[in-house]
Amino acid sequence: MKIRVLMAKPGLDGHDRGALVISQALRDAGMEVIYTGLRQSPKQIVRAAIQEDVDAIGLSSLSGAHNVLFPEVLRLLKESDAEDILVFGGGVIPIEDAVKLEKEGIKKIFTPGTSTKAIAAYIEQAVLEEKGNESPLLEKPSGIDHIGIAVRSIEEALSFYLNHLHLEVEKIVEVPDQKVKVAFLPLGNCKLELLEPLSSESPIAKFIEKKGEGLHHLAVSITSIDARLRQLQREGIQLIDAQPKIGAGGYPIAFLHPKNANGVLVELCEPGTEGTEQ
Amino acid sequence: MSEKYYEDWQERTNKEIEKRPERKTSFSTSSSIPINRLYVPDDMGEQYLSEIGFPGEYPYTRGIRRTMYRGRFWTMRQYAGFGSAKETNERFKYLLEQGQTGLSVAFDLPTQIGYDSDDPMALGEVGKVGVAIDTLQDMEILFDGISLAEVSTSMTINAPAAVLLAMYIAVAEKQGVAKEKINGTIQNDILKEYIARGTYIFPPKPSMRLITDIFEYCTEKTPKFNTISISGYHIREAGSTAVQELAFTLANAIAYVDAALEAGLDVDEFAPRLAFFFNGHNQFFEEVAKFRAARRMWAKIMKEKYGAKKEKSMQLRFHTQVAGSTLTAQQPDNNIVRVAIQALAAVLGGTQSLHTNSRDEALALPTEDSARIALRTQQIIANETGVADTIDPLGGSYYIEALTDELENKANEYMEEIASRGGAVSAVEQQYMQREIQRAAYETQKKLEKEEEIVVGVNRYQLDDEPQPELLRVDDRLVEDQLQRLQNIRETRDNEQVQISLQKLKEVAKGKENLMPSIIEAVKAYASIGEICHALRDVFGEYE
Repeated sequence: MKIRVLMAKPGLDGHDRGALVISQALRDAGMEVIYTGLRQSPKQIVRAAIQEDVDAIGLSSLSGAHNVLFPEVLRLLKESDAEDILVFGGGVIPIEDAVKLEKEGIKKIFTPGTSTKAIAAYIEQAVLEEKGNESPLLEKPSGIDHIGIAVRSIEEALSFYLNHLHLEVEKIVEVPDQKVKVAFLPLGNCKLELLEPLSSESPIAKFIEKKGEGLHHLAVSITSIDARLRQLQREGIQLIDAQPKIGAGGYPIAFLHPKNANGVLVELCEPGTEGTEQ
Repeated sequence: MSEKYYEDWQERTNKEIEKRPERKTSFSTSSSIPINRLYVPDDMGEQYLSEIGFPGEYPYTRGIRRTMYRGRFWTMRQYAGFGSAKETNERFKYLLEQGQTGLSVAFDLPTQIGYDSDDPMALGEVGKVGVAIDTLQDMEILFDGISLAEVSTSMTINAPAAVLLAMYIAVAEKQGVAKEKINGTIQNDILKEYIARGTYIFPPKPSMRLITDIFEYCTEKTPKFNTISISGYHIREAGSTAVQELAFTLANAIAYVDAALEAGLDVDEFAPRLAFFFNGHNQFFEEVAKFRAARRMWAKIMKEKYGAKKEKSMQLRFHTQVAGSTLTAQQPDNNIVRVAIQALAAVLGGTQSLHTNSRDEALALPTEDSARIALRTQQIIANETGVADTIDPLGGSYYIEALTDELENKANEYMEEIASRGGAVSAVEQQYMQREIQRAAYETQKKLEKEEEIVVGVNRYQLDDEPQPELLRVDDRLVEDQLQRLQNIRETRDNEQVQISLQKLKEVAKGKENLMPSIIEAVKAYASIGEICHALRDVFGEYE
């Protein structure tokens, strides 16, 4: 069954570029979207949501009226026994307001710059959770994707792995964002990643400075990285990356904070979704 | 230029590229105009006099004044307004003290849509995106201590523009300033409200009548006031390309001219008071070329299509605001740099006035600090860079001239399409422009997400820990004060007089007589903006 979303503009502001772009993106993600048009009162929005039997409402406001109008939508949903309809929001919403609104029951406020894919994935997951469908989606980690080893120089480090262990180099790539060069060495079902800093500001350079060369991180293969990150976040696990990014292997990854795991830096990887996320 | 040399160069370059590829396989502008590796003299049109010419002379490609900024700088006009009239009055005085040369009023949404602050529709919106104006009393407070004889005021007001203009005229009268002397601009551009900005009230037809009534009234009574600011700004903010901004704005302008002619006005009487308002966006050269193309296209339209005789009728005067939609919530100080570069494009494009955005506008209304930096940005461009010391310094650049031609051609294609749909009013009713813009906006978003377009701090060079800047909060107590003041006025004014004036307004609205005098009368009786607009809604209906 398709997820149904009501996209609404409460209040008087006429800036509906965001609402229209998100509507289109959710449709492209396979949802059914009904857009209310401009200047809808909370009452009209809730009435439309119930009539259209939607799973979620997206509210967009750029005028600063969100603190009054969003909670009013929640109140009216409650009054109509329709609290199972999830409410999301976006627009020009200062972070303190976003925190407050989420406490009051808005499922999530998306801040400017959030990718439409992330929004679609979040809504999909949240609706499935609301319907009690979350668990089958989160499969157990299937194995170790790779082990990261921090080295000062890949060239110097390779000798041991190539000449003595007889491994081979699959490829060497540079990741300018992370200021790091990475050599991939296949090893059975997993890989070794040799990580060489490209500048002194690289996280790898800082790691080496603090702890010296050696084991840097452990990467586990998982599925549904967005959902997994939300589950971890809900459970109070500290994340380094709240949103997945594309790793050196070309698929989505995210790091968890080492203090969750006795000082081990854990990376989640979702191979098989090559470069399509974000 | 010898073609052989150029071809040889291209050949050698192509060989080099095989070894060392360029950053992208093809480059293009926001309007999908391909960008060549190099522009050479052959890329420029050959008709210098007829297509480029001299500043202050037809077709005004290089500027509408003979001396441009060597005479005087553009007007530095920062849009401001929030909360109550009293608070905004203080911000105005602050900006004038800081060297700002014109005022620009932001109204809150209830005012812009013709609701009083105590209307249920106004819930949560009072004083949020601009100042709340209910009656003439608020307007008196807004301009307290500011002489309307000395300042020029731009008002971003559209559907109820006639009401705010009436209030402005009434304040001038109370200050003892003659109507003929007041100077400023009302936005009064309803077509782009249907297309992109959303603060419409009435259906298109009566809206167009209100506009032509204003043209007629002002031509006679307030000859220094700009009666409309035909705006591409919001069309661009809604996601259009540069070409669409250009084409849709000029198509709307044609619709206003046609409506005025139909109402029996003479083109050279009202056309000199038409002003324009464009967006200063990111693609630097495309923006400069856009402003130059706009001037040339308008001059041709006025001369060739409408047979205008006066030079002023053919001169496209425009205000620029830099692009709010390019400001990022991430690393907001970066926005200062974006604004500076966009503002530079507006200046090199020959703008008459300029608003530079504040760095924190993706987060909230600007703080005083941010508003000052924004103004300083213009002052630095004017006083420190030397770009204002010669006219149209990019004119004659092979690239700029080629791009100016290309934008004109592409915009003309759109305008032909709109004409074939029966003009801008029909095209708006058919949702044609709205759909085109929406498509372009979605394309832009997809490019961002595929990282085909890079926004620094958003999809590249992000920070893990974003510091949270200080934001301006509108004090909610202001709303209480505003409601109280409105209540007081309702109790102390001559309510019989208010009813008589509203009744008369309805009668005039049903007929053909000019609406302005009866709106001024109602305003002077302290009828509120909501009461006046409701009277007109009763007669005109509302746009859905």
